[in-house]
Amino acid sequence: MELNRRDFIKISGATAAGVAVSGLGFDLSQVKSHASMLKTQYAKETTTICCYCAVGCGAIVHTSKRGDGRVINIEGDPDHVINRGSLCSKGSALKQLTENENRLTEPMYRAPYSDKWQTVSWDWALEKITDRVKKTRDMTFEKTNAKGQTVNRTTRIASLGSAAMDNEECWIYQSLMRSLGLVYIEHQARI
Amino acid sequence: MSKSIFIDTSICTACRACQVACKQWHDLPAETTKNMGSFQNPPDLSFSTYKLVRMTEEMINGRLEWLFFPDQCRHCVDAPCLETAFDETAIYRDPATGAILYTRNTKQLDADEIIGSCPYNIPRKAADGTLGKCDMCNDRVRNGLKPACVTACPTGAMTFGDRDEILASANKRLEKVRQKFPKAMLLDPNEVNVIYLVAFDPKLYSEYAVASADRGGLSRGVALRKMMGPFAKLLKV
Repeated sequence: MELNRRDFIKISGATAAGVAVSGLGFDLSQVKSHASMLKTQYAKETTTICCYCAVGCGAIVHTSKRGDGRVINIEGDPDHVINRGSLCSKGSALKQLTENENRLTEPMYRAPYSDKWQTVSWDWALEKITDRVKKTRDMTFEKTNAKGQTVNRTTRIASLGSAAMDNEECWIYQSLMRSLGLVYIEHQARI
Repeated sequence: MSKSIFIDTSICTACRACQVACKQWHDLPAETTKNMGSFQNPPDLSFSTYKLVRMTEEMINGRLEWLFFPDQCRHCVDAPCLETAFDETAIYRDPATGAILYTRNTKQLDADEIIGSCPYNIPRKAADGTLGKCDMCNDRVRNGLKPACVTACPTGAMTFGDRDEILASANKRLEKVRQKFPKAMLLDPNEVNVIYLVAFDPKLYSEYAVASADRGGLSRGVALRKMMGPFAKLLKV
């Protein structure tokens, strides 16, 4: 391709302008240094197990050390024997379990026959739950079955969940349910 | 030595872990979308979606084939967008990784000219004209990690490493895949750093799966600017 005089001036003019911009108006090193900084560089690393399915993939949770302790990033744990760093699409979105503005942060209550949810306090909600569980459990508790064998159970309460609990939380939950005498203890991932 | 990603679509299950991991790492928001009769969602790449698993259903040899194509920037060896922009403060290549990187200064470029120069139709502009696309997780790569998408991939369809090693493994894998799919091929392996392996005609996967003559490349004006490149560098010194 041949350059004529006119094109040459056009190009050299544009180039001079380019030099002026890069030389005076903008510090490129700032943008480039961004590439060498990792957002998890100063974060605290904690390992966890994905709460979703029964595969039990390991993940690393990066939390801020600046006091608020919020989650910066969650990704697969390369040292975990099951997933070796990989995660599925749900697992890859684990961060949203805590960092999502659509998350409910207060207990909600819908009264019988009502079509509206209302925000209630934790104290109120926990008390209400305790009252109802105790009432139903005491009313329906069976010490023995028809054959006279000791069963100590209630078949009028069932427990479902939770997919958002990790292994240790599940253990505590299971203990509580068993101590109340529940036999219908299920997890929705299995249904 | 530049880095490369190998994407073996023959073992991709379209779980979209790469797509979500990309959003997660880059803190990109979700998009409101409508059901368009496909699992492909969102429908296209955007300023806030750098990676998208494209899904198409094709009848091939009397058999329904569901084709998956995790689309992203190819980080071209000679990137037309970089040469079109001709402005290192907006689009530059990281010499350590070979990644083509866009800065916020892309706002000052002619967005449509840059998008038009891309043979793979990848860059997308924001409302204010800033351009965005995959950055090969350059921050992660510079710190010894793999890109978020490659880290997440559960089937091993994506691998990451030095270019020569990735090319070698891609060719080895191609040989094996060809035993089952004789038409399997690597897409533009010598031109790009994100190398795809497809089992069927690449056009079935995505309109822009391979670089085509009717799209991208350099316009006359850009070619002139490119010719002036070495001279312009002299001027800067």
